[in-house]
Amino acid sequence: MPDRIMRYLLLVPALVIVLGTTLWPLGSAIATSFRNWRLKRSPVPQGWVGLDNYAFAFEEPEFWNALKVTVVFVTLDVVIAVAVSLGLALLLRRAGVLQSLTRAVLILPFAMSPALIGVSFRFMFNGEYGVLAKGIGWLVPPLADVIWLASPGYAMAALILSDVWHWFPYLTLIFLGGLAAVPVETEEAALIDGATPWQTTRLVVLPQIKGVIAVALVLKTIFALKMFDSVQTLTGAGPGITTQTLAHYVYTIGFVHYDMGHASALAIVLTAILVGIGIVYTRLVMPPKVIAR
Amino acid sequence: MTAPSPLATALKSAVLLLFFGMIVFPIAWMMLTAFKLPRDVYQLGLGFTPTVQNFGIVFEAPWNIGLRIVNSTVVAFFTLAIAIPAAILSAYSFSRFEFAFKRGLFFLMLATQFIPAVVIILPFYLMFRDLGLLDTRTGLVIVNLAIVTPFAVWMLKDYFDAVPIECDEAALIDGASRLAIITRVVVPMALPGVIVASVFCFILTWNEFIFALILTRDKAVTLQVGLVSFRTERGDLWELMAAAGIFITVPAFIAAVAIQKHFEAGLTGGAVK
Repeated sequence: MPDRIMRYLLLVPALVIVLGTTLWPLGSAIATSFRNWRLKRSPVPQGWVGLDNYAFAFEEPEFWNALKVTVVFVTLDVVIAVAVSLGLALLLRRAGVLQSLTRAVLILPFAMSPALIGVSFRFMFNGEYGVLAKGIGWLVPPLADVIWLASPGYAMAALILSDVWHWFPYLTLIFLGGLAAVPVETEEAALIDGATPWQTTRLVVLPQIKGVIAVALVLKTIFALKMFDSVQTLTGAGPGITTQTLAHYVYTIGFVHYDMGHASALAIVLTAILVGIGIVYTRLVMPPKVIAR
Repeated sequence: MTAPSPLATALKSAVLLLFFGMIVFPIAWMMLTAFKLPRDVYQLGLGFTPTVQNFGIVFEAPWNIGLRIVNSTVVAFFTLAIAIPAAILSAYSFSRFEFAFKRGLFFLMLATQFIPAVVIILPFYLMFRDLGLLDTRTGLVIVNLAIVTPFAVWMLKDYFDAVPIECDEAALIDGASRLAIITRVVVPMALPGVIVASVFCFILTWNEFIFALILTRDKAVTLQVGLVSFRTERGDLWELMAAAGIFITVPAFIAAVAIQKHFEAGLTGGAVK
């Protein structure tokens, strides 16, 4: 078979899978978002309602609540996870027993399932017998009587802590990869010229891994925006709906209330936000050659 | 360079030790809980009588973790068995050929990752309901392909790019077909990369939660969704959750540790080279 045909033929299986499992559902969800379709009332789609589902979505306080929760969660989660992992990566650059010990366990939280992490942190943040709740209360006495998962702000804090725990070791691995490419000579030169270690890190090392930091920010933001698993298993979106992210809200409308039209409209809004951020970030931080060389 | 002061070194060691503890402690605590009797679960000391009875209980009704293990394994196996070969073929084409809309197509593959799982699952739920695929492993394999395939293409293209094109050319001169070059030259040469991509995809599929939560009720429930069932009207059965957690984490940990060295190089390499 000539290469002129082969090059396209080879693409077919993966393209069929990707089109069938992601773009078809997207198109189908867009179509459903313009219809009235409550599964509890009718097994087949009912009438077309134009933009009603969207208009309805924007009128609901629950939507704005979920949007606010998502923005708060994503902002704090991304900033904390990236800052912590960058700091740890800088500490882990040099050789040493403690360094190799810590490096050896970095992969473990990432391999753990978000559902199990949620369950585990729910156990450990239990107000009566949770080991983390008790430990934090012992270290910081004012927090001793906090019932973490029953208080809105603290439940959000527990959710962020559990997600940071899941991600920071993996982000550290990414930063270590980036730091490995920074030539030691540039730092040595700066130190010889009289720069302090902190100046050297800030002005010499960090600028050289700007690209890696940007990629880590993008990755973490996208995964944080899609956050569902541990919302479900750690806080159950509660107390009330104070930790209900957009993804969890779509799930609730779709698979607790079975309102397919409404859920599809919300899902499309969430996708639009993700794609928007994806495009901005891609333009901003990824050189074109990364996408296809 | 001047030697750092002893105080700075001690401080650095303390911080590293803290990080090490932060990473290991929650894992260790859950693993210990799996060996506790229900009465010991609520006490924070280490003086408890270890037991393995939880590992027996989770295999009995109504938990049936044996079936969950089979479901998770079968779904992960077939997802990879379909996704990896398909990804190998297209990653090779993306790596070796020029063609119309190549950049656009490759970007499209990556862009699908911006589509949240809740969007993908709505239409599939409705379709599977009509086709009788709800609560089946087949249904789970189909939706899992959505999250695994684009990642595999992305990672594999990078590893294939690292195989010199001269190897292909030499084989072409010897009269080998493109398929033969892929299976006998490029894949063997990039084998560590193929293994890393497969393990990465295994972890994604094995840990997948929302699809299985929505699509399964009973027969096809996976280990991840099985965790939810330990929340009963009698309260949370933490020691059983922890025991199930061991079955979830051990395969993923083994897989991850096996590729740890390549993991670092592979993922950052792909993103920022």
